[in-house]
Amino acid sequence: MRRRPGIGGLQNAVVARDQYRLLGENVAKLRTDLMKEQLTTFRSQLEDFARKHKNDIRKNPAFRSQFHEMCAKVGVDPLASNKGFWAELLGIGDFYYELGVQIVEICLATRPHNGGLINLEELCKLLCQRRKGARETVSEDDCLRAISKLKVLGSGFEVISVGKRKLVRSVPTELNKDHNEILELAQAQGFVTVEEVERRLSWSSGRATDALETLLDEGLAMIDDGHRDGRRRYWFPCVSSISSYVGADTL
Amino acid sequence: MQKLGDLKLPHFFNYPPYFTLQPVRDTREKQVQLWKELILDYCRTQKIFVIGLEEDFPLFTNSVIERSLSHEARVAFLSALVSDGRAEWMDKGHRKCLILWHRIQEWADLILRFVKENGLEDSVMTVEEIRSGTESRGTDLHGMDRTVLMRALKQLENKGKLAIFKGTSADDEGVKFSL
Repeated sequence: MRRRPGIGGLQNAVVARDQYRLLGENVAKLRTDLMKEQLTTFRSQLEDFARKHKNDIRKNPAFRSQFHEMCAKVGVDPLASNKGFWAELLGIGDFYYELGVQIVEICLATRPHNGGLINLEELCKLLCQRRKGARETVSEDDCLRAISKLKVLGSGFEVISVGKRKLVRSVPTELNKDHNEILELAQAQGFVTVEEVERRLSWSSGRATDALETLLDEGLAMIDDGHRDGRRRYWFPCVSSISSYVGADTL
Repeated sequence: MQKLGDLKLPHFFNYPPYFTLQPVRDTREKQVQLWKELILDYCRTQKIFVIGLEEDFPLFTNSVIERSLSHEARVAFLSALVSDGRAEWMDKGHRKCLILWHRIQEWADLILRFVKENGLEDSVMTVEEIRSGTESRGTDLHGMDRTVLMRALKQLENKGKLAIFKGTSADDEGVKFSL
């Protein structure tokens, strides 16, 4: 005959449950403590590492970029604040803010020529020219990081990819897919003609003319009627290296 | 980099669209600005005072990229210089343009300095001597345009710094400095 549940059985069950809970809590606490300890160790090691390789981080752009990657993986953003341990230790906050200011200046100075769209490569080259005196070299990765910090200003600084190249946009122009395709096409020679756009992209002539007119109005293109064949060419300073020259003259 | 005479040409000179007048306002303003500076620099280094729009002018053609400024573009750039006070049309048809790479006032100052440096404060010189004599050699005054020189001298005459008088020969005038 099966025993019916009695008061003793119920009490036993309650005691058992309490004990399980206690045990569980202990285990969980142990684990958290362990994790906390590991994180502290990790953090202090990362700090040690940063301290030890401070100069490399400052001077070597490749090393700097790898360090950023490592920090990102463990959820530390050395650029998040200009105060606190990381900034004090490395001074990289200031480094990127300085780059940011210089990037804005270059974009403004070259804007009349390129309509506010500049090749990342060119921008980087101009930045290095400007910073000739500074000891640290600057990589494209640094430019991108500095630009990402500029976003908080809401001034419409943005990096767009066109074909294989990256362009930095400093005016709030919206470029649609058609415009991007034309820019990509122009990378080969620095210019396109209406015929070429129609042929290569299989567009109607209206569509090609329309997109080119917009790019012209935005100051991103310049017309050239001087060629022997009499066909109008649309040049794009943002994809030619000319932007650096004209920009460098006025900087 | 390409050179024209002693002048290092700016890079935009090799970018074909700069030889076509741009239709969009902002782009054109930048283009006009760059050309104005180039024209003044070129005339300064080559000591050119007059640009004839219907003649060949080396600066307005770039054979490397096979581009040449249209008549319309030439007029546009020179007109911009005229409105800046850095050039003057010499005829109503806008065929000849006088380039003032020094303003008349600056030329007058140069003449005063030249007079002081050479101790000519109370001397008499002919206009021709000022532009081609040995004293002015090596200064901007040497070989300068006669019309521009006369205008600078007139300005100084009005201020009482000198007196211009007819010389013995009919084709030259004399200047008596009185500083």
